[in-house]
Amino acid sequence: MKRDPAAGTLIPRNALVWIIISQFALLAPHLLRLPLWLVLVYLGTAVWRLLVFQGRASFPGRLVRASLALGGCVAVFLSYGNLLGLEPTVALLLIAFAFKLLELVKPKDAYVLLFLGYFICVIGFLFSQDILFVLYSLFTLVLVTTGLVALHRPREDRFRLGSLRLPALMLAQAFPLMLVLFFLFPRIGPLWTVPVKSHAAKTGVSDFMRPGDISELSQSDDVAFRVQFDGDIPPKSELYWRGLVFSVLEEGAWRSLRYNELPGLELRPPPVEPEGEPLEYTVLMLPTQQNWLYSLRYAQPAQRGILSTADYRLYSPVEIEEQLQYRVRSWPLTALDPELSDWRRETELTLPEQDNPATRELAQRLRSEAADASAYVDSVLQHFRDQPFVYTLQPPLLTAENSMDQFLLQTRRGFCEHYAYAFVVMMRAAGVPARVVAGYQGGEINPVNRTVIVHQFDAHAWAEVWLEGRGWVRIDPTAAVSPDRIELGLEEAVAAEGSFLANSPLSPLRYRGVNWVNMLRLRYDALTYRWQSWVTGFDGEEQYRLLQDLFGSIRAPVFAGAILLSGLVVLIPVGWLLLQHRRPRPLPPEQRLFLEFCEQMRRQGITRTTGEAPGSFGRRVAREAPKLAGWAMELTEAFEQLAYGGKSRDAAAYRQQLAGLRQRLRRVPQSGSER
Amino acid sequence: MPVNAAETTGRDAASGRFSRQFSRWLVRRIPPARSITLDQRRIFIFPSLPGFFFFVLLLLILLTAINYQNNMAYAVAFLLATLFVVSILHTYANLAGLTLHALSATPAFPGQRSEFRLRLQRSGKAAHYALRLSWPQGSDSLVSLADRDSCEVSLYVPVGNRGWHNPGRLLLESRYPLGLLRCWTWLDLDLQALVYPRPLATAAPPGGDGGRPEGNAVETAGSDDFHGFRSYRPGDSLRQVHWKAVARGHSLQSKVYAAYASRTAWLDWDAFPGIATEQRLSYLCYWALALERRGEDYGLSLPGVDIAPASGEAHQGRILAALALYQHGAAAS
Repeated sequence: MKRDPAAGTLIPRNALVWIIISQFALLAPHLLRLPLWLVLVYLGTAVWRLLVFQGRASFPGRLVRASLALGGCVAVFLSYGNLLGLEPTVALLLIAFAFKLLELVKPKDAYVLLFLGYFICVIGFLFSQDILFVLYSLFTLVLVTTGLVALHRPREDRFRLGSLRLPALMLAQAFPLMLVLFFLFPRIGPLWTVPVKSHAAKTGVSDFMRPGDISELSQSDDVAFRVQFDGDIPPKSELYWRGLVFSVLEEGAWRSLRYNELPGLELRPPPVEPEGEPLEYTVLMLPTQQNWLYSLRYAQPAQRGILSTADYRLYSPVEIEEQLQYRVRSWPLTALDPELSDWRRETELTLPEQDNPATRELAQRLRSEAADASAYVDSVLQHFRDQPFVYTLQPPLLTAENSMDQFLLQTRRGFCEHYAYAFVVMMRAAGVPARVVAGYQGGEINPVNRTVIVHQFDAHAWAEVWLEGRGWVRIDPTAAVSPDRIELGLEEAVAAEGSFLANSPLSPLRYRGVNWVNMLRLRYDALTYRWQSWVTGFDGEEQYRLLQDLFGSIRAPVFAGAILLSGLVVLIPVGWLLLQHRRPRPLPPEQRLFLEFCEQMRRQGITRTTGEAPGSFGRRVAREAPKLAGWAMELTEAFEQLAYGGKSRDAAAYRQQLAGLRQRLRRVPQSGSER
Repeated sequence: MPVNAAETTGRDAASGRFSRQFSRWLVRRIPPARSITLDQRRIFIFPSLPGFFFFVLLLLILLTAINYQNNMAYAVAFLLATLFVVSILHTYANLAGLTLHALSATPAFPGQRSEFRLRLQRSGKAAHYALRLSWPQGSDSLVSLADRDSCEVSLYVPVGNRGWHNPGRLLLESRYPLGLLRCWTWLDLDLQALVYPRPLATAAPPGGDGGRPEGNAVETAGSDDFHGFRSYRPGDSLRQVHWKAVARGHSLQSKVYAAYASRTAWLDWDAFPGIATEQRLSYLCYWALALERRGEDYGLSLPGVDIAPASGEAHQGRILAALALYQHGAAAS
């Protein structure tokens, strides 16, 4: 009873071609992630299957298939070193997908292959939910569904492009209800831990800064995060996005204080009094695989799950593996750490012993000339301005030992981290508490939707100096060397050098001068922001807000009713569209009466043959059942008159004739069946 | 007594009772008729086996979406779920509006297969694909109505014993377009095949010794010696038709052959005394076939039935039908 109508039959050629097309379309986005041999396996299986199709090869035997499967697993293990991460899992799935093509004989195999195709489409989203990729994946869904539909059209032996039509139509019909489910389906937390992207690189500013690190990061035009301010956007020169605070200098590199290095009393940020009007904004951060978040100072998170650290940064207890959207309030005028604890003062003054003697000497000389700490800061900045320092993306390499001596006195060419490094060393050497702050500076304002786009090349390092009565004060030594960097951004600052995004010649950001390219890029970025904040970033909290806006309170009956109602609203038009051309047209009443007559005669044993005209049938009845002759002839005649008679009959006469026919039909003469 | 597939599959008593109830219910719901148009009363729909696997797939995608907190995976899960819902309508629409007409059923001998001819017609212009028609024990046929409004379908069903053979209910099913749902109906098209008696050879020819013919040449069909033409009469064998003349545009002419008939043979019920009814009918059937092959005239005499001697395909059909329906009750000519 459950026999598949297509079982036993072969797969139509049209379906086979669509299956192979969809397979390659599904593979394409993974190409760069996969080892080359897997791509070759794909090509090999497709060629093999096509040879089978042409009759020039045969399907592999069981032994060959088993050894291919085993070989695939071993090869994945050798390529990735394990089988449990997300990438090896994907590779295994894709191998199974490729080999299944060699088993594609019956429709049953095609179901397995196509269902696997749907799943591989989903797997792609674990790597990217970019709007263009999502559109592409939607297209692959259409392709897989086309394979499924073509499978059920028997005897289609030629490839038909028109096969795309119905699947596209069906998916379009399914789309509205999908949206309803998408926004109404309850979002719950993960049920168990799943393999993560083991190979995903940590991106953005790292928790470890050596001269040269940030200039390397500045080669990338990737977006780090986007910010939407509730009110006006502050001037660019005020946009210092704090991510990390480096308090420890060790072996020539800066790092932040580890949690276990903090004494118990220093774990929480010292309370401060917010000053001035707060800035309210939403940050949409792309995954970094790191814990820290970016914010303007002095920031307080406006949602749960985000912590404040002792140095007034925002911190997520879990690594950010998916994009994260968070709301922040910042009071930029607030004084941080108005009272410095002894432990903190000591920490922020520590320098490695016997390091950079020339720098220390210079610091002590300048400090002795300055009246107070504040004047000392000014004189150091003045020193940077006066000496021939150069702001460059291509700084010379520094030696590991006494690197600041080398930088300050010899090379004098550096990027922001060199200046911040040197500045903080000079501060600490002169007894002024100071630390390096890393994050991003500035950002591009998108005129389309007023978001601030912060790219990786906006990565920056600056300094904070603790001054009596003012707390931590932000000092950016780079501004002293290259005011353009802060006012206009990196591109202008290094324009003379031509080194901006030197490694990515095709980046649209390099063509900001070309108006339409730039406008296209900004529009796409605005779309991406909307997409990321509304669609891919849609979570439980967003859903709660949306539902409250829609229904006021969230109660189960309202919820179920909404789903049901929207289901009907979507499905009824689809059903109507489908069936309006298939509903049998009702027969005219006289035809129905005549068929009734035929049915009566059939019970009498006189069956009207296919195509027998009513008149000749009437005559035959008269011949074969003489007792019915008069009645049958009369009835047939009445019917013929009604059905084929004058066209110009009026409604009243028609109804009268019809009633006559009906009456005659009821008055069957009593007759035997003898003939 | 229609034999249903459901009835034949049910072995034990419980399922037997269930399938009897089911077929009674089916008779009420889809009463027998010579032509049936499919509408929502007559169409059943249920997920197919791949459809259930599709649910498993949806569950997997949903679990992936939940565990990875991935909104696009959620979107695909919901899109495929609603695709399934939409495909209910599409699968249903693929059967809705189809009309099946019973055309004819060719008579057959026991153990042979009878050809049942049906016409499948669509009501609108929408295409119908992959319609599978089958009788429980018979052959099946996969047709599509994509670029034509109707088509004829021949299905072959092995027949049982002498009399009317009712093939049971016709199964019309389709899984188009996605194969995730099976949409089907059981139809009784009130179509029966006539089953002739099984011919059994017997030595003694009925009503005479059947020796060499003597006497005047008599026009008869099926003999060897060509005699002349006469205009075609219904019942003449198509092999007799002078097709060359037809091709030249003349009216239908039958070739007439000469044979020699000394007498007409009677297939007589009483020629086999003391033999059981079925066996007698088998003998008579054998001789009807043999005499027709020889081209002799033969008549039939059964209790209550007398058919005057003649020959030809139509005559043979009448004789065999009379044999098939002897003591079968049904009043059909």
